[in-house]
Amino acid sequence: MKDFIIGFKIGFKEFGENIFLVVNSILLSFVYFVGIGLTSLVAKLFWKKFLDTKPDKKLRTYWSNFNPEEKPVEEYYRQF
Amino acid sequence: MYILGLSCYYHDSSATLLKDGKIVAACEEERFTRKKHDSSFPLNSIRYCLDSQKIDIEKIEYIGFYEKPLLKFERIIYQHLHSFPLSYKLFLSSTPSLINEKLRVVEKIKKELKYKGDVLFVPHHMAHAASAFLVSPFEKAAILTSDGVGEWTTTAYGIGEKNKISLLKEIKFPHSIGLLYSTITAYLGFSVNNSEYKVMSLSSYGDMNTGTNKYYKKLKQIIDIKDDGSFRMDMSYFEFIYKNRMPSKKLCSLLDGPIRKEELITRRHKDIAAGLQLITEEILTKILNHIHKTVKSDNLVMAGGVALNSVYNGKILAKTPFKRLWIQPNSSDGGTSIGAAAYIYNTILGKKRNYVMEDAYLGPEFSNEEIEYFFDSNKIKYTVFKNNDYLVKKTAKLIYENNVIGYFQGRMEFGPRALGARSILSNPCNKKMQEILNTKVKHRESFRPFAPAVCKEDALKYFECDMPIPDSADFMLMVYPVKKEWREKIPSVTHVDGSGRLQTIEIKDNPLYYALIKEFGKLSGIPILVNTSFNIRGEPIVCTPYDAYRCMMGTGIDCLVIGKYLVKREDNLQDKWDSEKAAID
Repeated sequence: MKDFIIGFKIGFKEFGENIFLVVNSILLSFVYFVGIGLTSLVAKLFWKKFLDTKPDKKLRTYWSNFNPEEKPVEEYYRQF
Repeated sequence: MYILGLSCYYHDSSATLLKDGKIVAACEEERFTRKKHDSSFPLNSIRYCLDSQKIDIEKIEYIGFYEKPLLKFERIIYQHLHSFPLSYKLFLSSTPSLINEKLRVVEKIKKELKYKGDVLFVPHHMAHAASAFLVSPFEKAAILTSDGVGEWTTTAYGIGEKNKISLLKEIKFPHSIGLLYSTITAYLGFSVNNSEYKVMSLSSYGDMNTGTNKYYKKLKQIIDIKDDGSFRMDMSYFEFIYKNRMPSKKLCSLLDGPIRKEELITRRHKDIAAGLQLITEEILTKILNHIHKTVKSDNLVMAGGVALNSVYNGKILAKTPFKRLWIQPNSSDGGTSIGAAAYIYNTILGKKRNYVMEDAYLGPEFSNEEIEYFFDSNKIKYTVFKNNDYLVKKTAKLIYENNVIGYFQGRMEFGPRALGARSILSNPCNKKMQEILNTKVKHRESFRPFAPAVCKEDALKYFECDMPIPDSADFMLMVYPVKKEWREKIPSVTHVDGSGRLQTIEIKDNPLYYALIKEFGKLSGIPILVNTSFNIRGEPIVCTPYDAYRCMMGTGIDCLVIGKYLVKREDNLQDKWDSEKAAID
């Protein structure tokens, strides 16, 4: 009986994890295709570039500014 | 005032504790969990840091985190927006941990540590820069940070003066020396974020001539390098923006073959590694020359994974106008916990700098009583050294007689290198020692060299070092040529190209280790030891007496010199096991 209960618990936990995976995948797929996909397609229609992926021989340098000015302390409490 | 610095959720999680601006404890989580490059929340490391000072979490005034999680999240979303729909699989696999862990850092810290104070977020490359400059010996220095990627930044430079850091320029994702190096590492069949140093070692076997190495020319096609060292990669050769795989089919075609799997390393692989090393050196030299012109300082500090390229580090002072160099010993992400904490203390709070990182012995240590208790409770046979003098003489003799010694003394090192606290030591004069170590102990690729440990004042006799020898050589971060007349006399630490990644030792940093090398010199005529990390292949460096004993009994290490005790493998054969069967690379 004890073995049955332990086995049942393990099986139920695995079942829960599998359900979690399926639900997670469905939700994430929805977010990916609707949120990311639509935004990406609309942005690309307007020639928006999210990343530079090719060298540009015309540019003299690829260095960009880092915003070197001193920041207030509050800036470091933010995660962005 | 106590400040805790944290780094986690990418690779090499770590914690660093600062007391009034001085590092009093630092450790990587992998040493406790025994998972190499562990990225989990560094709870064990934090506990160690607090216990080492006998304080609890209420004493911590600030916690510094090594990056800005939302900026990183923004970059990842941009990757998906750019690559839609190619990034679907990556999105499904990476988003749960992003949402559950990386964006909930504050909640995690407060919940796990019951911490009620302030958590500050230091940008990733600022944390690298701070780890290099604020604990360096320089009042003013140029700073270069370069790694795979932080939030958006992959390479940055700037200036540090007193307790201020100003990063001036950056190169942004996806253009990255670190990711280029990792991509070729993956192409050559090695693990990413782990085995880049193997590619660096392999490069010495290839054609290091830009005029004749065809893969140097081929790799130049995929990256545009400007005169100021700034660069941009052609991303059609890479897949890391939208896949867990790094090289694209186009890159495989350019390099004349598929990704290496189990097959033997050929001349082609060696030349590809050499071509990559040549390009890396070309970019870094141009960047450093540009920085010197812009920043106008003869001092240079560096951090970020790229700064662990010790082959190039040994050439910096010869190839650029910089006169002095300091590199953060734990240059990869593990070291950013130092940077996050030091940046808060020195730069945000404006406190004067009062600490120079002269050694890396910041990890846990074990008393003789603790070691003896472990032996007695496990029925391990051992002998006791009467005093340190006897320990030094006996250990030197054992090494001279070609025994392989596991050497476990004092506080563990912080960072990727074993520096004489958790080291395997052996005789460099024995021609077969490299083979013995590779087959009996380390079970690693035959092309990888072992490091020589030498007292600082003796280094110039055996190696063609910069003068004065940079302090970074104390941390095994510089490769220099072995002088021609000594190459045949110390074959097991001389690489195929005649170089050695030496560790220099000063008496003030580790007197026992220093004395041991000198004593070995009296016996052999050459005061140099082979020093390699004390670990089983695929595992982190040993941390505890248990780890050390287990490592000895699972490999071909002959003796363990631990605290004041000597343990011989042959006396304890009941605990013998085969570590190679369990090894995961």
